[in-house]
Amino acid sequence: MKQAVILAAGEGQRLRPFTVNRPKVMLSIAGKPILQYVVEALAQIGIRDIVLLVGYHKEQIFDYMGSGEQLGVAITYVTQEKQLGTAHALAQARDVIKGEFLVLPGDNLIEGATIARFAAARPEALLVKRVDNPARYGVVTVDRGQVRGIIEKPEEARSNIVSTGIYAFTTQIFDFIESELGIPDVLNRMIARGGDIAAEETDGTWRDVIYPWDIVNLNDAILHWIQASLGGTIEEGVSLKGQVSVGKGTVIRSNSYIAGPVVIGDGCDIGPNVCLLPATSIGNNVVIAPFTAIKNSVIGDDVNIGPGSTMQDSVIDKGCVIQGHFTASSGQEEIKVDHEHHLVNVGAMLGEGCRLGNNVVAQPGVIVGNYSQVQPLKLIRGRLPDRSLVV
Amino acid sequence: MCGIIGYIGEKQAGPILLNCLSRLEYRGYDSCGIAVAGGGVRVYKDAVRVKALEETLPRGIKGTVGIGHTRWATHGEPSRVNAHPHGDCAGKIAVVHNGVINNFQKLRQQLSSEGHSFISETDTEVIPHLVEKYYDGDLAKAVAMALGEVEGSYAIIVMMAGEPGLVAARKDSPLIIGIGDRENYIASDVPAVLDYTDRVIYLEDDDIGVITTGDIKVTRQGTGVDRKRHRISWSMEDAQKGGYGHFMLKEIHEQPKVIRDTIQAYLPADESAADLFGPGDTYRASMLMLACGTSYHAALIGKYLLEELSGIPVRTELASEFNYHGYHFAAGRAIVITQSGETADVLKAMKRLREAGCPVTAITNVVGSTASRLAERVVYTRAGPEISVAATKSFIAQLMALYWLALRYSKIDISRWDNLVMEMRQLPGKVQQVLDNDAVILKCAGQLAGYNHTFFIGRGINFPMALEGALKLKEISYIHAEGYAAGELKHGPFALLGREAPVVAVVARDNTYEAMLTSIKEIKARHSPVIALVAEGDEAVGELADTVITVPQTDALFSPVVNTVALQLLAYYVAKERGCPIDFPRNLAKSVTVE
Repeated sequence: MKQAVILAAGEGQRLRPFTVNRPKVMLSIAGKPILQYVVEALAQIGIRDIVLLVGYHKEQIFDYMGSGEQLGVAITYVTQEKQLGTAHALAQARDVIKGEFLVLPGDNLIEGATIARFAAARPEALLVKRVDNPARYGVVTVDRGQVRGIIEKPEEARSNIVSTGIYAFTTQIFDFIESELGIPDVLNRMIARGGDIAAEETDGTWRDVIYPWDIVNLNDAILHWIQASLGGTIEEGVSLKGQVSVGKGTVIRSNSYIAGPVVIGDGCDIGPNVCLLPATSIGNNVVIAPFTAIKNSVIGDDVNIGPGSTMQDSVIDKGCVIQGHFTASSGQEEIKVDHEHHLVNVGAMLGEGCRLGNNVVAQPGVIVGNYSQVQPLKLIRGRLPDRSLVV
Repeated sequence: MCGIIGYIGEKQAGPILLNCLSRLEYRGYDSCGIAVAGGGVRVYKDAVRVKALEETLPRGIKGTVGIGHTRWATHGEPSRVNAHPHGDCAGKIAVVHNGVINNFQKLRQQLSSEGHSFISETDTEVIPHLVEKYYDGDLAKAVAMALGEVEGSYAIIVMMAGEPGLVAARKDSPLIIGIGDRENYIASDVPAVLDYTDRVIYLEDDDIGVITTGDIKVTRQGTGVDRKRHRISWSMEDAQKGGYGHFMLKEIHEQPKVIRDTIQAYLPADESAADLFGPGDTYRASMLMLACGTSYHAALIGKYLLEELSGIPVRTELASEFNYHGYHFAAGRAIVITQSGETADVLKAMKRLREAGCPVTAITNVVGSTASRLAERVVYTRAGPEISVAATKSFIAQLMALYWLALRYSKIDISRWDNLVMEMRQLPGKVQQVLDNDAVILKCAGQLAGYNHTFFIGRGINFPMALEGALKLKEISYIHAEGYAAGELKHGPFALLGREAPVVAVVARDNTYEAMLTSIKEIKARHSPVIALVAEGDEAVGELADTVITVPQTDALFSPVVNTVALQLLAYYVAKERGCPIDFPRNLAKSVTVE
């Protein structure tokens, strides 16, 4: 297998507000977009001819991935003008695909080991994995190593084997794509016509982000992969424990305490007396003022956090400006997304470009829409739409 | 970033190397060079672009093995002596290198003490000398031993007289091998060799490749490894444009990164920053700012910033006009702005200033350019190589450098300072917002594309934006566009207004706001369609203008940053709608090296 198609055109509506202005594959986990993990996994097993199927906010993918040179791969971009599902997306790539190829979702985080064996599988094949919560995924019926059918998000899962959305195909798949929207539908029809699709199982990493709070959990899991590397300036009296990665041009000022795994981007100004606890990711160009403590959280690029703030299990998207004494503690909350209710442990989730006055307190589970503004001394809770004004 | 190339086969290497180098120029173009072996090793190099090197080459260079390099200077200014390839003492070895050798000073001292002599200021030059030192009949082994002493990043190609093959190695810099028929290539990227072959091998970090006419051997720590051969399906142009249709759009979209890089480079250095205006404070009496074209628009904004924040009176002049002024100017310091550092009118003005004893600070994008050498102090902008003739990211980088200068020499209180720095850190995100929400701009472009004459107006710090918006539009879409100070429109141009002459109004929420509303009303009364560029949250303008493009709110001082990006997109989409050759407009050159 020498070629791979990565599906990166999708929007990820259930992840709003974080996907209003970015494609789902560009969500940052432990300092890198999810898509980068997928590309790196492919490069690691020697697949360097990569077709990226892009659509929703594709320019951000162009800007970040470029020609692929930095990651040691060669990228061909194919645009899906309307997001009409994975099968339609794949059909757009017909002209640039030769022989056998892999198809991977760009929004599921994997590592090289996940697909190393599968890359040698004979098409058509599907990579499956056993999980604890199969009802979130496409549940696969497997019989003697062959796929018998895929049922998307069943009410009741008959097995704990689910589809990873990673396939090995030959160009004959294009003959089977008709008006279907999703690749699983195409597979089901191939099976109905007597086609053989092998099921290969993996026990490597395969993680999905479906809801906003998944970002916190996944960040925690993946941050444990990082290796310490210190760029920038670490002033005297800073304590660094465990694996801490600091980007170039960043200044960590005196008496800050950083317990890894923590990853900090380029050009940040942190401290003095800032406390960063596991497992926290800080983007580029972030300012964190004195006496702020952040635990198990994801902070985006260009964020400015005022003095004396406390944050836990939270996601602060890029460009937020938070004045002093912001409190976002974690707790168990029931959150409604579409028509589903979820009981989760989480802090605050702030969309991009929010401005918060002094002494704002966030209830656990609050989801604040992009570019919202909150006056000082306010309690925020529940779900606030984009551009909310809390006075 | 630099680009490197190697060829070995049965054809003449010279023309092939030059063609490949021209494909690599997007990686840097301040100098270039080739070395060809046919008998001995002959090196041809200079601080010029590939085309200029080609014109100066002697005819009929014989040799079927060669290497080449195109440079974007990091260590040592662009000059003939610092250009690659670099050689050893005996002149038998030639090396091209992309990357940075961190411990080159130590290696250089050590090699010097062992009797090696160095002629350039580059980090690269230690490599040929190390190879020379270790060579005992096996070039690949000597390269491996040499690289064992090197710390840093590299992609290198080594050539030696009398050796049958080229040796290539990489670590943290890209390198590929192109497989031909009785010939092989080595290059920084695939597009460089796509004219000749579509079969490639990607080298991994720490790989060493020995490439001959008919064979490719890759080893790693002395043992042979088998690297997969890939067949490339895409075209060269597409790869360099990374998904975009034009370099201009790619460069417009690079601007959030350029701003972030600028902030990273300048802001934290509060204590250690070089003194850009020299010792003393004679510059406080008055300053002179000179530039041409888009850079002149940056200078007009620079004037506004320096006067507003630091209270220094600034006179801004077109460099091309300044050279014909006879009178004496009393300026404590001059600032010149030139992307390429080679603009002839600017260089001439710099020489005049030098003769008059006026110290000059140059703001330029090209390390070691003529302007940087003529200047007493230099501020480098962080835009990276710009391919599109229409300047976009280099303009934003100039603005950021000017903001930084104005802040550095400002006399504002600490809370205003803190606010401005915080706003500055928000700019990458705000520019990204403009890029993410280009649907309205696209719509406006569709309307504008149908007209033959347009006006752009602005006031205060956004008057230069009107000039820049008009310049972008006319240079790439060929629509006649005039930038005007809004108040000046009634002194003549009103005669041209009407249904066939749309006006683009740049409106900021500062002390010019009310006057801009009045201007728009006056224009509407003459039936010109009005497209207004306004900050978010503005409702009054929406009631007057036909179409409104909203940009994120920021401090009025920073409004040119978000406004310019919107105007760039507008010009781009209009030109695209009209089917113009956007990256290379007719009659225009990237850097104007003639008066």
